[in-house]
Amino acid sequence: MENPLHPFELHNYIPLSLFGIDISLNKAVFLMWLIIAMVAGLLITAGSSRRLVPTKLQSLAELLVDFIRGMILDTMGKDGLKFFPFIATLFLFILFSNLLGLIPGSYTVTSQIIVTAVFAITVYAMSLVVGFVRHGVKFFGILVPPGTPAWLLPLMMPIELISQLARPISLAVRLFANMTAGHVILGVLFGLAIAGGALIGWLPFAFTIAMNALEVGIAFIQAYIFTVLTCVYLGDAITLHGHGDAHAHS
Amino acid sequence: MPQFESHFFSSLIFWEIVSFGILLWVLYKYAFPPILETLDLRERKIRESLEQAERHRIEAERRMQEYETKLTAASREAEAVLTQAKERAQRLLDENEQRLLAEADRVKADATREIDQERRKAIQEIRSQATDLALLVAEKVIERSLTDADHRRLADEALAAVAKNYGA
Repeated sequence: MENPLHPFELHNYIPLSLFGIDISLNKAVFLMWLIIAMVAGLLITAGSSRRLVPTKLQSLAELLVDFIRGMILDTMGKDGLKFFPFIATLFLFILFSNLLGLIPGSYTVTSQIIVTAVFAITVYAMSLVVGFVRHGVKFFGILVPPGTPAWLLPLMMPIELISQLARPISLAVRLFANMTAGHVILGVLFGLAIAGGALIGWLPFAFTIAMNALEVGIAFIQAYIFTVLTCVYLGDAITLHGHGDAHAHS
Repeated sequence: MPQFESHFFSSLIFWEIVSFGILLWVLYKYAFPPILETLDLRERKIRESLEQAERHRIEAERRMQEYETKLTAASREAEAVLTQAKERAQRLLDENEQRLLAEADRVKADATREIDQERRKAIQEIRSQATDLALLVAEKVIERSLTDADHRRLADEALAAVAKNYGA
């Protein structure tokens, strides 16, 4: 039977190095290029029509932009809108990477732990920078949940510290694990379908169809979760426990 | 798991940062501004259209009210004009009738008076003629010596003449 982890293997097609660092081109890198080409192509085409009564593609792009803007306004308030380009790009990159990975023979960039980790660490580092720039030393107050009695502080602060440090890890692992698990299940089911032959093989094959449909949903949901958590973490850094206006209406 | 093979990490990190950076820059520069601009434009346009529609509605209502007021005033005026015209026509009719009646009365009175005058004049004339005749007869009697029979005949003649003139 075929190894279900086989689809995650990478092979360097073109060896490259920059200042002694290996930057060889492999399937994942090609997929990243495909992602940026598709996203940029779609959004620039959509943006170029600029019609008051939108074309179909323009509607789609506007829906997406409005969706992400709404998400930012809900979690971060008006101050968060300056992060819009970053958050929108993050969402589109992850979404297209998840969806393109579902095409047989292609590669899921987000099934690489290092890729999701880079995103998660970037997001978390950004939230720290934003927090310290906006609030200075007071940003350490994020370790003290509002309303904590003084005698609980020695207990609460380590717990909060751990929960803070868990943020980038959970962010990275959640996306990676979801993408990996889906493909592993698909791989196993396909293996069973082939091994089962015509007599019983149709059953796991039918499951692969259902799983594929589910995976499309998961691709959207995981991209959304990653983005919404990015908004929440950045929002926390902006408002410190949501004391500001951002959560006033939610 | 193949994902933990660390010798791919440097390449993936590098290309991820480069790809993401390029995508972010391209979208920031060329894709988001026109889309956001169009969205803002549409939002503004819709808000303006709604406001304009509201303004038009209020204006239409005001005009409608104005017209209704005008219409009521006009119909009241028309009614007044009609009543006035009717009254005037009635008055003219009455006046004419009275004038005609008076005229007829006057004509009748004139005619009666004229007839009376004529009659009196005729009687006067008859009287004077009868006197003349009587005088003539008397003259003839005196001129000639008349027989009794002559007297009678003459008297009869005179009376017949009188009756003839007077009897009508």
